[in-house]
Amino acid sequence: MGCRTATLPPPDASNEPAIIGMDEQLLQARAGVPQALAALVRAHQRSVYSLALRMLGTRDLAEDLTQEVFMEMTDNLTSMQSSEHLTFWLRRVTTHRAIDQLRRRARIEITSLDEETQHSGGQGTGGPAISAAEKLDPVWHRHLRLLLAELTPDARAVVLLRYQEDLDPMEIAHTLGMSINTVKSHLKRSLEFMRRRLNVAADTRREDHST
Amino acid sequence: MTIGKSLLLVGLLALAPVLVLSAPDPRLVLPEFTALSQKATESVVITLDPSLLSMAGRFLDGGDPKDAATLEVIKGLKGIYVRSYTFDQDAAYSQADLDAVRNQLSAPGWSRLVQTRSKKTHADVDIYIMVVDKSAVGLALIASEPREFTIVNIIGSIDLDKLRKLQGQFGVPKLDLDAAPSAAAGKTK
Amino acid sequence: MNEFDDKPSSGDEQLESQLRDALRAVAPSEAFSEALLARLASERTRRTGRYSGWWLPASLAAAVLVAVGAVEHLKAAHEREMGLEARREVIEALRVTNQKLDLAYQAVRTQSTSLSEGDPGA
Repeated sequence: MGCRTATLPPPDASNEPAIIGMDEQLLQARAGVPQALAALVRAHQRSVYSLALRMLGTRDLAEDLTQEVFMEMTDNLTSMQSSEHLTFWLRRVTTHRAIDQLRRRARIEITSLDEETQHSGGQGTGGPAISAAEKLDPVWHRHLRLLLAELTPDARAVVLLRYQEDLDPMEIAHTLGMSINTVKSHLKRSLEFMRRRLNVAADTRREDHST
Repeated sequence: MTIGKSLLLVGLLALAPVLVLSAPDPRLVLPEFTALSQKATESVVITLDPSLLSMAGRFLDGGDPKDAATLEVIKGLKGIYVRSYTFDQDAAYSQADLDAVRNQLSAPGWSRLVQTRSKKTHADVDIYIMVVDKSAVGLALIASEPREFTIVNIIGSIDLDKLRKLQGQFGVPKLDLDAAPSAAAGKTK
Repeated sequence: MNEFDDKPSSGDEQLESQLRDALRAVAPSEAFSEALLARLASERTRRTGRYSGWWLPASLAAAVLVAVGAVEHLKAAHEREMGLEARREVIEALRVTNQKLDLAYQAVRTQSTSLSEGDPGA
């Protein structure tokens, strides 16, 4: 399904016209300045890699997909009209490719806590600091991520774009090519599913602690 | 010509086509499994003939350790064929479904390398190898589990040691088989 | 305000907050990042070099160049797409094979350990 050219999200009052405010780095990358291309990759790799990792479940598959996406990005730089367009394009291609793979492939393999956190600041490689909440309860956060892996590919993509990328349902709908009602339905059902499973897990933990 | 020699000549002539055609073929004829694939919750169907393997090789980066190791494994291979189906309940397929493949592995040329039956995992795995002139020219694997079966057919000479070294790099957790079994079980994802 | 629920609950808000925390983006390894950048740089050099020898006079020739370049680009892009797909399939095939070999190795290992410990069943 890979898209060679992505349509821009609909204009609204907060969007600058494409020609004004074009990112300097993007311009330089299009002109072939290697450092600019490297800067673009570094600016977006966490988002792309995390989407790939949480969609596909393992570091190796995530790295493969991340590499593919950025290789395709370098092919399509001339069609990027703005840095916002680039961000939209990267999210769209990453999620679409991941969904394609999941539909074709066998089971998703659930990533272990080790796979997620080995690059998340422990090695001093510039990953995000673990949040205070996660430090208190890494098991709980791992459980959330495991539940994410149980969602269908489409629902998983919706949840990731909402809570990892902080997109609103309209933006998610445009990124994934879904209707907004479908997006809202995925979000609602996914939260209900997670809440049910977390309540069961919480009850189990309370029983364990009380015994 | 004596009668004996005549009979011998007739016999050799009759056998000639068989003798010419009897070079063993490591390529299995894999069924479509159409009915089973519709029942399956997940399926993996991979058909990599020599041209696709060659193309894949061009896109494996020799400078990347994982890609380089993969290149080493597929070097000299002429085909990789995988059929794997997973179901949401036990006994969704029968051993008879696999017989069409097993029967081919009783043909001349194939030798069973390993036969395992595990009460713990309920998995049966049979591995066959075809050797011609002291070189391995094909491998076949049939894995039968309660809710899944997998058939792998590899054409060419595959180095199982090199393949095993890729363990841990493809999303399969690295099992420390040199450790005690209980320690290895604890490391699964 | 939760756009997809008319009546947001504190439970939903707490879960959403936990999800945001749990799903903060993580960085790939530095080794991967470096390898990726090197690969992108070498791809770009390779692609630029392919066309650097073209030199023809006249605007008609330039138009032909653009058309040929576009076709070549599409062909190369298509071939790369196929090649990357083939690469994915190879990796998947070897992964599945390794997974099943592991089953056999585990069974053999369990049995040999049981025999050495005098355990009749395995």
